[in-house]
Amino acid sequence: MGDQPIWITFIVTFAIMTVLLLSMAYTTWYERKVLARFQDRLGPTRTGKAGLMQPLADAVKLMGKEDLVPDAADRNVFLFAPLITFTTALLSAAVIPWGGTVQIFGTDVNLYPTDINVGALFILATGSIGVYGIILGGWSSGNRYSLLGAIRSAAQVISYELILGFSLVGIFIITGTMSLTDIMFKQHEMLSFGPFEISNWFVLTQPLGFVLFVIAAVAETNRAPFDLPEAESELVAGFMTEYSAMRFALYFLGEYISMIIMSLFAATLFLGGTSGPGADKFWGLGIMWLVLKVMAFLFFYIWLRATLPRFRFDQLMGLAWKVLLPLAILNIVVTAFFRLIGNGQVF
Amino acid sequence: MSWELVFFAVFSAAMLLCGLGVVAFENPVHSAVALVGSFINVAALFVMLGAEFLGVLQIIVYTGAVLVLVLFTIMLIDPTKLPEFYVGAPLQRFASVVVGAILLAEIGVAIITRTALEQIGPHTEAMVQQMGGNVQAIGQVMLSEYALAFEIASLVLTVGVVGAVVIGLPNRMVEPNTVTMSLGHTRGSSDMLAAGPKFESPMNIPAERYTAPVGERTVVMTKDPDAYTHPGETSK
Repeated sequence: MGDQPIWITFIVTFAIMTVLLLSMAYTTWYERKVLARFQDRLGPTRTGKAGLMQPLADAVKLMGKEDLVPDAADRNVFLFAPLITFTTALLSAAVIPWGGTVQIFGTDVNLYPTDINVGALFILATGSIGVYGIILGGWSSGNRYSLLGAIRSAAQVISYELILGFSLVGIFIITGTMSLTDIMFKQHEMLSFGPFEISNWFVLTQPLGFVLFVIAAVAETNRAPFDLPEAESELVAGFMTEYSAMRFALYFLGEYISMIIMSLFAATLFLGGTSGPGADKFWGLGIMWLVLKVMAFLFFYIWLRATLPRFRFDQLMGLAWKVLLPLAILNIVVTAFFRLIGNGQVF
Repeated sequence: MSWELVFFAVFSAAMLLCGLGVVAFENPVHSAVALVGSFINVAALFVMLGAEFLGVLQIIVYTGAVLVLVLFTIMLIDPTKLPEFYVGAPLQRFASVVVGAILLAEIGVAIITRTALEQIGPHTEAMVQQMGGNVQAIGQVMLSEYALAFEIASLVLTVGVVGAVVIGLPNRMVEPNTVTMSLGHTRGSSDMLAAGPKFESPMNIPAERYTAPVGERTVVMTKDPDAYTHPGETSK
């Protein structure tokens, strides 16, 4: 880990962005396929082999559609709002590590765009700006369904962001750092129990934190069963009711990017990131493990969507403030207590 | 001219322009959006000063929580129906000018002593590095040197939360008024109504002549829901 020429950072960032944007398109395909299997259907089959060209066809279709602005809309805010959601979702990828410093063609390359000492908080911060896209989009549409979706989203994201942040405090207490790179490499260490050696993934030491994080992450990305901002059966499509063409696609893709980012974030924090058999010998294997973990998370997201019905709004708020928040605080207290025992400052 | 200066100029100009927008826009939602822009640029300046932690907190707390709640409230207001801007009583205006002047003077004194007179505080860059970084330094100072102020701040916040809950609670002291309004049963369509006196239409029964039917629920006959009288009361 160290400084590198800025052109290498540009190349790494470019590669990560390309991969992220492509995988975002193919996450839509993945979701449609997996969801179809859950519902005993085939999903897309016509465009290309196994429907693999479907995302491209969708992109062409969406770009060719008319970009409508309703009469009642606040025009400038309406046009600007989708960009906020999309760009902030992409921005959070800047701090997620895909490995350490490796040698490629004899040059030292950091497999992360940047490593700031508050990386974990940075992702929370970009997420909290991203909610403005939803709120402003809903408000500026001049439609009461959109406004309702926006208001629901504001309340939901504020509540669950708190839990998302609190569920990470346990890890910060254990590692003493907020840099995602440091947190990831702490998990590459091995714990030995007699003849057995297992990786020190934080899901083992922070199981409650992990559960809280996953619940809050699903709510934060507005996915089922927490998709109240866009509940079809009540609000038409919530905050995106009035959007069409590429602006609709920006919201849609922003949601998928934040799903991928949240999966990367969870894999980095709790499942060891790139750690796995052989990852310390070849960096490519590490990336493969990270991708596998992310795909498992995405599968879990889709599984939830296929299984659970939507929450009622009062249940959603009750769950956040009366159940998850006390549990998160309990997790912090217990972790801090064990950390003090580990330091020999108690007993 | 170094890049740092260029970035500083861009961020601070954007911050000031957004600040101007907050007071200049007519639509309160536009003002709030301008405030968001201003806060984000403040966070950028924090990061440029090497205070990444403060910058990120600025975004999480102010942009992500406080301003979302502000937007939440003003989104529900119809901007065309806002009352005339009220500048406050003369005493209030005077007090606000005085407080504003004091705050501005505080900032001025801080800038002058720290930069022009070069009286740098104890937490220099080297000192912060020695403490293990920004986050560690803020944590240590806040929970040791300024622990009292920290606790007082949390107490103030708790008082605010309790106050909000008390205001938001429904008034439980008053006996709940459980009156069912029945508007427009035709005669014979309800067993309960059949027990009452027979008129052409229940809509025409004067409230004082109507006896409540047998059962738990009180049925009140009225044409105008705003002007009903409770049976048992004399009409007002």
